[in-house]
Amino acid sequence: MRPGFGGSAIPVGIDVQVESIDSISEVNMDFTMTLYLRHYWKDERLSFPSRNNQSRTFDSRLVKKIWVPDVFFVHSKRSFIHDTTMENIMLRVYPDGNILYSVRVTVTALCSMDFSRFPLDTQNCSLELESYAYNENDLMLYWKNGNDSLRTDEIVLSQFFIEHFHASSGLAFYSSTGWYNRLFINFILRRHIFFFMLQTYFPTMLMVVLSWVSFWIDRRAVPARVSLGITTVLTMSTIITGVSSSMPQVSYVKAVDIYLWTSFLFVFLSVIEYAAVNYCTTLEEMRKMRRGKIPSTFNASQAMAFDGCYHDNDIELTPFPRMASTLASNPLTTQSQNSDLRPPEGTRLRRQRSVRENVDLLVNNSYMIDSYSRLAFPLSYLLFNTVYWSMYS
Amino acid sequence: MLFNARVQLLLLCLILTAQSRRQGSRKKRWSEPEQTLKPGRPPAWQFQPQYPSADGFTIPPLYKPKPSQSGLSGFIFNTSNMALGETPDAVFLVGKTRLENGMVNGPLSRKIVDGTKTRKLKTSHLLRVDEHDFTMRPAFAGPAVPVGVDVQVESLDSISEVDMDFTMTLYLRHYWKDERLAFPSATNKSMTFDGRLVKKIWVPDVFFVHSKRSFIHDTTTDNIMLRVFPDGHVLYSLRVTVTAACNMDFSRFPLDSQTCTLELESYAYTDEDLMLYWKSGDESLSTDDRISLSQFLIQKFHTTSRLAFYSSTGWYNRLYINFTLRRHIFFFLLQTYFPATLMVMLSWVSFWIDRRAVPARVSLGITTVLTMSTIITGVNASMPRVSYIKAVDIYLWVSFVFVFLSVLEYAAVNYLTTVRDGKDRKLRDKIREQSQTLPCTCGIPHTKTMMLDGMYNEADANSLAGYTRASMLAEDPSDKEEQMVVHLALDNESTETKKKGTRSFRFIQNTHTIDTYSRMIFPGAYILFNLIYWCVYC
Repeated sequence: MRPGFGGSAIPVGIDVQVESIDSISEVNMDFTMTLYLRHYWKDERLSFPSRNNQSRTFDSRLVKKIWVPDVFFVHSKRSFIHDTTMENIMLRVYPDGNILYSVRVTVTALCSMDFSRFPLDTQNCSLELESYAYNENDLMLYWKNGNDSLRTDEIVLSQFFIEHFHASSGLAFYSSTGWYNRLFINFILRRHIFFFMLQTYFPTMLMVVLSWVSFWIDRRAVPARVSLGITTVLTMSTIITGVSSSMPQVSYVKAVDIYLWTSFLFVFLSVIEYAAVNYCTTLEEMRKMRRGKIPSTFNASQAMAFDGCYHDNDIELTPFPRMASTLASNPLTTQSQNSDLRPPEGTRLRRQRSVRENVDLLVNNSYMIDSYSRLAFPLSYLLFNTVYWSMYS
Repeated sequence: MLFNARVQLLLLCLILTAQSRRQGSRKKRWSEPEQTLKPGRPPAWQFQPQYPSADGFTIPPLYKPKPSQSGLSGFIFNTSNMALGETPDAVFLVGKTRLENGMVNGPLSRKIVDGTKTRKLKTSHLLRVDEHDFTMRPAFAGPAVPVGVDVQVESLDSISEVDMDFTMTLYLRHYWKDERLAFPSATNKSMTFDGRLVKKIWVPDVFFVHSKRSFIHDTTTDNIMLRVFPDGHVLYSLRVTVTAACNMDFSRFPLDSQTCTLELESYAYTDEDLMLYWKSGDESLSTDDRISLSQFLIQKFHTTSRLAFYSSTGWYNRLYINFTLRRHIFFFLLQTYFPATLMVMLSWVSFWIDRRAVPARVSLGITTVLTMSTIITGVNASMPRVSYIKAVDIYLWVSFVFVFLSVLEYAAVNYLTTVRDGKDRKLRDKIREQSQTLPCTCGIPHTKTMMLDGMYNEADANSLAGYTRASMLAEDPSDKEEQMVVHLALDNESTETKKKGTRSFRFIQNTHTIDTYSRMIFPGAYILFNLIYWCVYC
């Protein structure tokens, strides 16, 4: 029977010294902590006469014979009292009946984590202590020294930084059994970003930069540009898979997901861009063939020599369309004065171009897609990075 | 006088009866037939089975049965030179066969006596366990009891970087004196007990600080030994496996060495109640010779001791077992450094391939980047997520940068080649316009162009256009004329512009210069990096 049975509630003071936080698992959404848990209460049945007022210390075998509070950890998954070489329990009895009861416990408890800002997130976890049998009328659980009751050894975690440890208490209501005192050990963890920078963000940035290299390679090098684009897509996909393997499968999007998928989109667009360039180039050649700039004996497959490029000494793909009048007598190339030759770029004759004319312009000058991409892609990626980091940091 | 004689006779009778009663009772105990005794040496069978009381402890048989003439099989423990009739310290007999006079020793005729049946002992219990309250430590309320500790490390089972802990199996021995356990003994020999006595007496409650999991082995029975000496000294030994945390510093991984410690402390008793100390100083820690780890070399094992303070409970003695481990580099050389170096060297192959082979060079560069990325991911899979950079990270990322730069180098080469090709074409077409009136120089062979301006026209050989034999044959001789004309046209220009033009022209013309320089710069820089890296970390 508890001390003071049938009378007022017995106050039990609690003191905790956290030895270590062993692991924090995102996949299981829990944490494992080892702590020294000390209870202080007064049981007059255990008082003994003493001349020098010194306490007596006992180990675990006395515990089975006397009453001790039955504190348990709410929301714990597994826990155990260490028992090597003997049960790690200490009982110290003072002559007036005050008792100090200390145990070394390892407990794995649940912590709901919110990953919407992973890996730039902070997690708030708490360990809750409560008496199992005795409600508020029988046992009053309180922190012995207020906020100083919670002490920590030097806790070093590899992935996190412990911002704050504090103690709080509250009441918990169970509809079938009543009100219970509950004590909380709260701590805030901030994740170190460095590992993810090195492992995820940096490779992703490099892959996106590598995909831009494709814009500087000659657009006639079809296999080269395609393989460049595809391999960067493959690497991005591998990085994405690697990150998701160590994460729980949550139903919302995480910060790292946003970054990875946007980068993936950039890399994907560079492949699409080259498809567009290649298509426009092909169209351009068709039109030129139709106009007769290219001899009809031109054999495209012959032109793709061992390096896979078009050999176009004769295919005119340079920037500015030539003034037809000055090159009448070129034996190899016949400049035809086509009526559909538009006025050159330099002339002042400008008018609103219709959509079809814009497309035509693009097709005839497919180099422009590359030139614009060389500027547009880096700038937009830079803009995305600025927005992302300012939002999450 | 007759009265005196009767009294004396009565007294004599009384004395004789008393003697015979004593001897008779002895005879009752020893129900075996008499044997001739050698003087001074009691026969083996002569002791009565004496078992301690039911709630006591059993003494394990340590001796093989001695063959004896009587066909008796039994165990004598702790034989001593006892004179006949003296009660032995601890003796029991197991499976004794009794032979009647004249009986033959055979299975049918053997009558087995139950040696485990308890009999009333004349002497008190051996260790008088029930007379004291063993929940209190020895010398309770008196001075601290000194407990010596001795450790023999059996093995280091595993060292885990991801969990930052290590697992060790050791024999842990405690030595202390408890006078309540002293017993009289003529021969000063100790008594050995197993785990069942531990629950009845007081033992120190040593625990391992910062341990995650630990257990006392219990196959086939609890691996616990208790040895009690007659003066009350106790030796308590157990076999424990403990997994303890070890803070590891990976900034020099894998060329690192880790120092881990195992800490022993009493849980309940402070400095004033229990003094923990290493029994023989630094020699208290002994290790099996066969301790070896696959990934580490154990450099040193040594012991220290200190005091630890807990604000709510006081000062405790703490003993430390420290050991230093150095990692074997070979595995990482084979697994990480060697593939990374090979990939970088493979990326240099690209500089030796003709720059006109665009897909080849690009795919070579990209595939080496992909492989480096895979190697990097592979290394980090088995490592904890630390917040600082490791030595292996530095190596892998610098190699990645080298490989990346080789891709960029080819992009630059390709871009400049395209630009130069465009300029070439423009120049050629301009020449074509202007060369309508120039003399025909058809038929001048290609090689003679060198003699004309002392400069080999590499534009032809290195252009993107036309390398196959077919396209060369299809070329018009007038093409050659045009190329020669290009040089002539160049000569016609002013010297300054010519110089400037030829210089830049030559640079652009010889875009393989970038390749030539890269062939030397990249390997040189990588070798320099390697020299610096290995010097810093070794």
